[in-house]
Parts: sequence; C-alpha cells; structure tokens
Amino acid sequence: MSAGRILVVDDDPQIRRVMRATLVGHKYEVIEARNGEDALTRISAEMPDLVLLDMNMPGMGGLETCQNLRSGSDVPVIIVSVRNSEKDKVAALDAGADDYITKPFGMEELLARIRAALRRAPTSPESGPHSVATTDLEIDFDTRRIRVKGKETRLTPKEFDLLRYLVSQAGKPVPHRELLQAVWGPDYGDEPEYLRVFINQLRKKIEPNPAKPKYILTEPWVGYRFAAT
Amino acid sequence: MEGGLQPARGFSLAPVRRALRLVAAPAIVALVVVFYFRVASVNNTTVALTLLLVIFGISTWWGLLEATIASFAAVLGFNYYFLPPIGTFEVHDPQNWVALTAFLITSVMASQLSARAKRRTLEAVERRREVEGLYALSQSLLLSGSARTASQDLVSRVVSILGVSTAAFNSRLAHETFRWGPDDPLISDEQLQTDRDEALIDRSRGFAIVPVRLGGQALGNLGLTGPLPSDEVLNAVAYLVAIGIERARTLEEAARAEAARQSEVLKSALLDALAHDFKTPLTSVKAAVTSLLSQPRPDQDRELMTIINEEADRLNRLVAEVLEMVRIEAGKLHLDKRPHDVGEIVGATLAEMKPVLHGRSVEVRLQDALPAAEVDFDFLQQVLKQLLDNALKYSPPESPLTISARAGDGRIVISVADRGSGIDEQEQMRIFDKFFRAREHRFRVPGTGMGLAIAKGIVEAHGGKIWVTSEPGQGSVFSFSLPVYRGEMVP
Repeated sequence: MSAGRILVVDDDPQIRRVMRATLVGHKYEVIEARNGEDALTRISAEMPDLVLLDMNMPGMGGLETCQNLRSGSDVPVIIVSVRNSEKDKVAALDAGADDYITKPFGMEELLARIRAALRRAPTSPESGPHSVATTDLEIDFDTRRIRVKGKETRLTPKEFDLLRYLVSQAGKPVPHRELLQAVWGPDYGDEPEYLRVFINQLRKKIEPNPAKPKYILTEPWVGYRFAAT
Repeated sequence: MEGGLQPARGFSLAPVRRALRLVAAPAIVALVVVFYFRVASVNNTTVALTLLLVIFGISTWWGLLEATIASFAAVLGFNYYFLPPIGTFEVHDPQNWVALTAFLITSVMASQLSARAKRRTLEAVERRREVEGLYALSQSLLLSGSARTASQDLVSRVVSILGVSTAAFNSRLAHETFRWGPDDPLISDEQLQTDRDEALIDRSRGFAIVPVRLGGQALGNLGLTGPLPSDEVLNAVAYLVAIGIERARTLEEAARAEAARQSEVLKSALLDALAHDFKTPLTSVKAAVTSLLSQPRPDQDRELMTIINEEADRLNRLVAEVLEMVRIEAGKLHLDKRPHDVGEIVGATLAEMKPVLHGRSVEVRLQDALPAAEVDFDFLQQVLKQLLDNALKYSPPESPLTISARAGDGRIVISVADRGSGIDEQEQMRIFDKFFRAREHRFRVPGTGMGLAIAKGIVEAHGGKIWVTSEPGQGSVFSFSLPVYRGEMVP
C-alpha cells in the first residue's frame, strides 16, 4: 500500500532520478513532470497527493505553475529552490505553496516536510470547535465550509488548519512557534514568514477589511489571536 | 534647401556694377529719345509713355537712384527733342510746362513705388531664406547623435546653412570648443568661455557671440563671423543649438541608463544561472547520499558516505559564499531594511547556532532601551553568525564569548568578543580582505577566507562599518555599526 502519490516536477533528470529512487524506497508512488505545463496536465490526470515543485524551470516556472494549479486544486505543494532569501520564500507561499525547501537538502529533511504536508493538522476535529458564526462570517469545521457575508470562500488545507487552530484557542494569543508546530508539524518553528503569508491570505479571504482585521489580530512580538466576537 | 546667404568673398564687383548702371540708365533713355526722333515718327504722348515704361523698368530692375537719374534725363530729352521750340530746353507753352512737370512727378513717384515694392520683395525673400535656414537647422538637429558629435555637427551645419564664415560653440558642460571654418581671432576661446547674459553682436566687424541657454541654464556660447543674419535669426539659432545639445545629451543619458539596466539584468541572470547550475548537481549528490545514510549500513560504508555528505555541504557553502561575494562586489545585495530590535536578532541568531555552540557560554550585554536598528534581518543574522563562528573557531573551547550592543551618535554598535589568541597588528589590517587567512591558522582551521569579507560587504551595504580590536594573547573584539531606525516603530 502506497504512502501517497507524489508528483516530482524538475527539469533536471538526475534530481528526478534520485527523488524517484528515494521516495519509492519510502513507499511513495512517484510520478514525474519535466516542466510546469507537463505538471499541470499530470495533476489533473493523475490526482497526486503532493507536488514537489522546482522553482526554476524553463518555460512555465514553479511560481506560475503553483498559481495555476491553485485555481483548481488544493493539493499540498512544496516548492524546491536554490534560492534561500526570505523574499523568495514569501513569493512561493504567496503563490499558494504550503512549504519551501532550499536545494541542496538532506533527504531526511525533505521526507519530514513531505510527511508534514501530507498530514492533516494534529488538532482533531472532535476536540476543536465545530462551527463559528458571526454576523458576516460562518465557519463549519466539520464540512470544511466557510461563508463570508453569505458567500462561500475556498481555503487551502493549510489555511483551513491555521484558522481552525486559532479558533480552537479563541481569545488567547497563540505564539508563532506553537502555531507553526500545530499546523506544519513538530519540525517547524523558525519560519515566522510562513505565518505572515498565510495570515495575510486568511485575512484577505475572511476579513471584511483586511487592513484593519477584526477576527485575526496580531499580538506584537508574540503571535496571533482569534477574536471571538 | 541649402545655399542661403552666401558670403561675398574677396574683391567685390558690386560698386562697379552700380556705377555702370548709373551711366546706363540715362543712356537707355537717350537711345529711346534718339530712336523716336530720328527713326520712328510718333506723337509726343507715345514718346512720353514709352519713356515712362523704360523708367519703370529701370526702377524695378536696378533701383531708385538709377530710375531718378533716368527720369531727369527723360524730362530733358523729351523737352529738347519733342516740345516746341524743338532743339532748345525752353518751353513756351504753359500746357507743355504742365505736361513736363506731370511727367517728372509721375516718373519719380512710380520709381519710388516700384523700388519700394522691390525692396519688400527682397526682404521677403531674405526672411524666407532665413526661415528655410532655421528649418534646415532644426531638421538636422534631429539627426545628430551623441552630445559631442552633436556639437560638432551643429557648428558645421550653422556654417553651411546660414552661410557664415566661421561658427564655434563652447560647451560649458564638456569644457570644449567645437569649430567649423577658418580660425578667427574675433571669436577666440577666451571670448567664447566668458559668461554672458546678452549677445555681443558687432556687425561692423562682422562677428557675434550669442549665449546658448535653455530654461535658464547656460550651456555655452555660440560665436559666428562673416555675413551675419538678423538678430532674430541669431537668437533663434542659439535657441535651436541649445535644444539640439540638450536633446543629444538626454538621448545619451537615456542610452547610458538603458545600457546600465541591461547590464544589471544580465548580471542578475548570470548569477541566478550560476547558482542554479552549481547547486543542481549538488542537490542530486546530497539527496542521494543522505538517502543512503538513512538506511542501516556497515560502519565503513557509513564513514565514506558521511565524507561525501560533508564535502557536498562544504562545496555548497563555498558556492554560496562565492556567489554572495560576487553579489556584494557587483552591488547586487538586495536589502530589505526594516526596523528590528537588536535583542531579537541576537536571540534568533543564538537559537539557530545552538547546535554549533556545543554548550559554549555566550554572555549577552545589551544597553537598556536600545533603539531599533534599520537592517535586513537575514543579512544581519548572517553577519552575527559569521562573527560568532569566527570566535568559536579561534578561541579555546571552554572560554566564554560576549555579545554586546550600545547606541550613540545615531548608530548602534554591536560587538562579539572572544578570549582567543588574538590577532597581530599586521593581520588585523588585512583580516577583512577577500581570501585572507591568518598565517597561524591557515592549515589548522577550515575556512575559505571569504566569511569576514562578506560580513564587511553586508555591513557596508547597510551604511555601517566593521572593525576589529585585538591584543595578542588577550582575545579579539569584532565590532560593527548600524544606522538607528529614525521613523515610527511598527511592531
């Protein structure tokens, strides 16, 4: 039984070879794509559980591919790139990626990130809240549905998990590290830029005025707080 | 279109021609009179009208003076040969007096009118030529290239289009004089270099020096010698020259900016390609070997794989450092400067370095109420890591390290102190040089000699300074200064 189907998108054949050899050794099923266009076709045809997406490819690059696939899919995406600046990471997350890993990487680290991306956030729906309803926001955690001013909104799995964790701790400031570990997994904690990007996306999707948030509030130097109104 | 106002060069025939015309005018009148008197017998009215026609012709083609002389000659001839008593200048009949006077007045007035019309026509032709010349000049401005060639082109075109003998332009911006035509002491370099608010026009000596200005800015002076066009044309030429020079300069600047931008884009693309091409094979090596290492292996295999893994890491660090050094030297370090709390940066750096500190004690001494620094968080962490890494490498494993920060004079100074063997004075001067390694440690401590050079590059890109103070045997203190954030603090 496969641990999951992973689409490896990279223009370098050697990297695809190593990935296939290693991931197959860890019971993953591997499909390959050589570029962004190829990847988009594969995603709709073979419905992978996760996409490892190289950022720098000829033709449609990783960022553009990620933006394109996000218009029709919630599949977790890990961007793989030789660049390690915060600006590049933020750009990747903004494009809809769930995680970012810098080349060259150790296989253990990549495997940990793959596991984290495939895993649903550890907060079990039973222990957390089932729903939230205010005048302009309705969240149903059981059916994973969100309505803002009566209009249904789509969240990516990571955005959804982030919101669910904040709501489960409603009224309390949640520190950055705790939030990262709750949503991404125990190996995370030093990626505050991840939170900045995902909180921004969430605010754009659920806040009536994202510039002056009323639900997801910043606690300076600490973290974030969901304001139960 | 060219041709314009050609200068009169050398000996002029104009006065001789004029004298001949002054003689020829009464001679023609005499011929007509003699013709009618001797050859064709006609009445007096015909003679008078013919003479009038001849005088109109003379005034139209030659001028007023010639026509006036011809008029008086005609009155005398008409009186002598055709009015009784014939053969004398006397007039007995008062009617003939009236006719003769009317003839004289008519012929002189007609001459004047005709001469005035001719003058107007000549003036109109002159204006048309000047306008055509200015138009030709403005057209040629559109074709000139760089500011320098434009200046040279302009003076040569001013000469050929306006028909002056010499044109010279002294450019204030280029500190250079461009000349066309024979050298003329009337428009010496010194004359041209003098600042002028108004044009100096001396028509008697045939030269003019006109300031070339655009929007109040003086661009230089234009000097002309030879037959000068009107003042209006001189001013218009100076204005056109100003526009031409300014246009060429703007085009040149735009071309330079575009070239610089393309070179920047090329550098960035090259650096990205290098990073990609070096790191891609390293990624395969690293991924393959760590994958193998994650499985149970005999000790010997494990040892060899560990070597491959460590060397891949080393190669990766080296590539990263070389690329960073190139970026710094190319001025391509893109800083995302924001206000940051120094304590936060120090804390985050120490947390990240925990595995390599191996339990080494690090004392942090920060001045109370330290202002925020305006820095790029990641790059600043890199500087601190480099200094800490250095301190760890060059001091005994059990000795403590100290990080301190204090503010003053609009700067924050952060120092990392160790209790190592110190650095001698000679080496202190070169320690931030690229590829420099201290003699004593060159083969003992691993490193590329780029770390401190990169730290220096990053600090300087922030507008700060980095330095070291050290006493051999006592330890070293590496310090760097950073600008204090002066805006509003946003958490």
